Amino acid sequence: MKKLLTGNEAIAEGIIESGVNVVTGYPGTPSTEVILTLLPQKEKLGIHIEWSVNEKVAFEIAAGAAWAGKRALVTMKMSGVNVIADSLSSVAYSGCTGGLVIFVADDPGVSAGMPEEDSRYYAKSMIVPMLDLASQQECLDYVNVAFDISEKIGGPVFLRSTTDISHVASDVEIGKKLKLEKREAHFERDIVKYTKAGAAWCMAQHQDTLNRLAEASKIADNYISESGIKINETHIEKDSRYGVIYAGAVQGNFQEILKRYNLKLSWLKIGMIHPLPEERIKKFLETVDRVLILEELDPLIETEVMRLAFLMNKKIDILGKLDKTLPVIGSYSFKKIKKGLEVLLKIKLESEQEPDILERAKELEVKRPTSFCIGCPHRGTYYALNKAIKNLKYKKDEIIITGDIGCTILGMSKPFESCWTEVAMGASIGIAQGFKWAGIKKPVIATIGDSTFFHAGIPPLINAVYQKVPLTVIILDNGWTAMTGFEENPGTIPIKENDNFRVDIEKVCRGCGIEKLYIIDPYESEKSTEKMMKAIDYPGVSVVIARRECALQAKRRKVKLPKFRVDVDKCTGCRICLNQLACPAMVFHPKTDNHKAFMEINSTCTGCGLCEYVCPTGAIEVIKDGK
Amino acid sequence: MENNIYIAGVGGQGAIRLGQIIANYSLEKGEKVKFFKEVGMAQRGGPVHCEIRIGNVFGSRIPPLSSDIVIVMELSEGLKSLEFVKPGGTVLLNKKKVYPIDIMTHPEKYPREKEIEELFKETKAKLIWIDAEKIASEAGLPIAENIVLLGALSFISSFDKMSVINILRKHIPRELDKNIAAFRAGYETAEGMDK
Repeated sequence: MKKLLTGNEAIAEGIIESGVNVVTGYPGTPSTEVILTLLPQKEKLGIHIEWSVNEKVAFEIAAGAAWAGKRALVTMKMSGVNVIADSLSSVAYSGCTGGLVIFVADDPGVSAGMPEEDSRYYAKSMIVPMLDLASQQECLDYVNVAFDISEKIGGPVFLRSTTDISHVASDVEIGKKLKLEKREAHFERDIVKYTKAGAAWCMAQHQDTLNRLAEASKIADNYISESGIKINETHIEKDSRYGVIYAGAVQGNFQEILKRYNLKLSWLKIGMIHPLPEERIKKFLETVDRVLILEELDPLIETEVMRLAFLMNKKIDILGKLDKTLPVIGSYSFKKIKKGLEVLLKIKLESEQEPDILERAKELEVKRPTSFCIGCPHRGTYYALNKAIKNLKYKKDEIIITGDIGCTILGMSKPFESCWTEVAMGASIGIAQGFKWAGIKKPVIATIGDSTFFHAGIPPLINAVYQKVPLTVIILDNGWTAMTGFEENPGTIPIKENDNFRVDIEKVCRGCGIEKLYIIDPYESEKSTEKMMKAIDYPGVSVVIARRECALQAKRRKVKLPKFRVDVDKCTGCRICLNQLACPAMVFHPKTDNHKAFMEINSTCTGCGLCEYVCPTGAIEVIKDGK
Repeated sequence: MENNIYIAGVGGQGAIRLGQIIANYSLEKGEKVKFFKEVGMAQRGGPVHCEIRIGNVFGSRIPPLSSDIVIVMELSEGLKSLEFVKPGGTVLLNKKKVYPIDIMTHPEKYPREKEIEELFKETKAKLIWIDAEKIASEAGLPIAENIVLLGALSFISSFDKMSVINILRKHIPRELDKNIAAFRAGYETAEGMDK
């Protein structure tokens, strides 16, 4: 049966079909939908599925399950691999008995702001085989392929996707559910394998890991998946001395160009990108004089091809990123790959839109700056924070506010322009301490969301307390991991769908030794501002917890809030509300011959009430209270 | 056969839902389908666009000059599709304009309809103007702009009306009757223009 599935949904289907027992992960674009797809079916599937507190914990849980003989899979975006690396390095040395698959989605082209990190290097540095996904069907098929290889070699396997695979939907053949024998959880004590005490054991494990890697390469080279996809595939065009070596998401555009322009050339598709199929590559290189390497992000395959050509002592033109035929930055569009093939084949391929049309269109384009959602509690928090800074007689550009990952970083944008920096999960609190030790005399403020705080914000907070760094940490607690699609986290309100235990951020902070702590409701501007002023003035570590549920989730859960409207007679059309809050529910009507200028609150308003507070003429009024 | 459809709009207009319905319709017709969506900050009124590729295609993105049909749900967002319009293809131009904040206060900064129309004319595609919001309102559901456009597209692409309505039944959670009315109204509008 065929179904329209995105790459991530196909991975989820692959998990169901491959008899996986434990699935863990931490949300991160473009990887999130694997668990989002599975979670509602958790009970029915009888699989343990969870959003863990961070990627490292998620990985460790999966590793433990695989050590007990079960199939386990962990999901993350590329940034998450940085977080698991410490544990992965050790687990890779020990290997596993049940299959252990690490699904990572890279983001070439940056669909969600973060470095364009190339996770393939981790496969090399961690000595873990890696499969690179080139289609949505592969997403489904390769889950089982990865488990199969993992169990055959007795070690973890990476399954790597990119945005153009994970977020694109395609017709995928589903329904070949694997029948695995039921496994009892069993873990045999073997400290030579599972501990790292002593050089001899560690080096023996190192050798085992290298052996597993070589074994994986052998298995993968001639592997054909359930629906007939060859992991590594060579196509030789007899009459051509030109070739392409490619891996991953570039496959679609590459094959499209071959078909469209009826190009005949040899190609080699690499599905296992670590370790590379060296013999296969060498054989391929024997048949060509000029080769183009198509891979997104870093020239990883390209440098290896150069090394192999050198060993073969063969004079061959190798085109790719190092000779600047193609860029390192960004994903590979149709146009980029077409350009690469033009250079390879020394021809010109038609055709593109008139540059004049595109230039004129570019000039007319309307910019749509990002803002907080309608009713977002963070709007109230940043509004109060800016006001507190102003009331304390500081200039806006002399107070450093470090930002963190997630929705809270939107405080960097207009109209608030509060956050100055964005680094990594939890980093706002650490970076802020550095500013203080560097000698910044004025207050330094760190902002961070609830999920980010749980993920990696607690150790730097403990450090600040322990080292007595005067600092204000504002935790914007909206109860959800909202940016990536409203996942739950340890601070999520227990609701009927997820009968979870709510970890109280206030208690966590008190337990870390925080003595000055304020809880504010971002919808209550005046009180929030007052408490923020006190927190900023405090000479030690202070914490402000801005607690109010994500407006989109609150709306979904039918939380009752007041309704507002603009009294047009009182509205002077001054636009203070619009300029200070940038709420997408506000519509400004400029003056015409028939009416004066005025504001309107449209039906999408969720009732946060900030505009009522901001309006200087009292033109915004409650028409229905929320009770 | 290959049919490429490019949809451009902003968050809240249902561009992705429209794409999903087209993609699922084609899948049920036994076609190979690719469906790409760019959502980004859609929740916050940001740009949204999606591409549906039907038939024997490999890449998930429409190559330049290859979009058989472009659906411009929000006028200024349509400018981003110009690279892809196929000469001889069809462009459905919805009259809708969604102003970001700085344009609300300076509406003169928004490109004029004429300027946009002129650019599309130069692509040598057939232009069809449609006021989807007005048609949707008359059908009793002003937000069903996307479904009105689906109706118009269904006529242009000779989709099987009843099969599309069946897909609507699966994909529309609320106000099904009004959505079907909006669909029919869109279909009939395009049909009327063709006569």
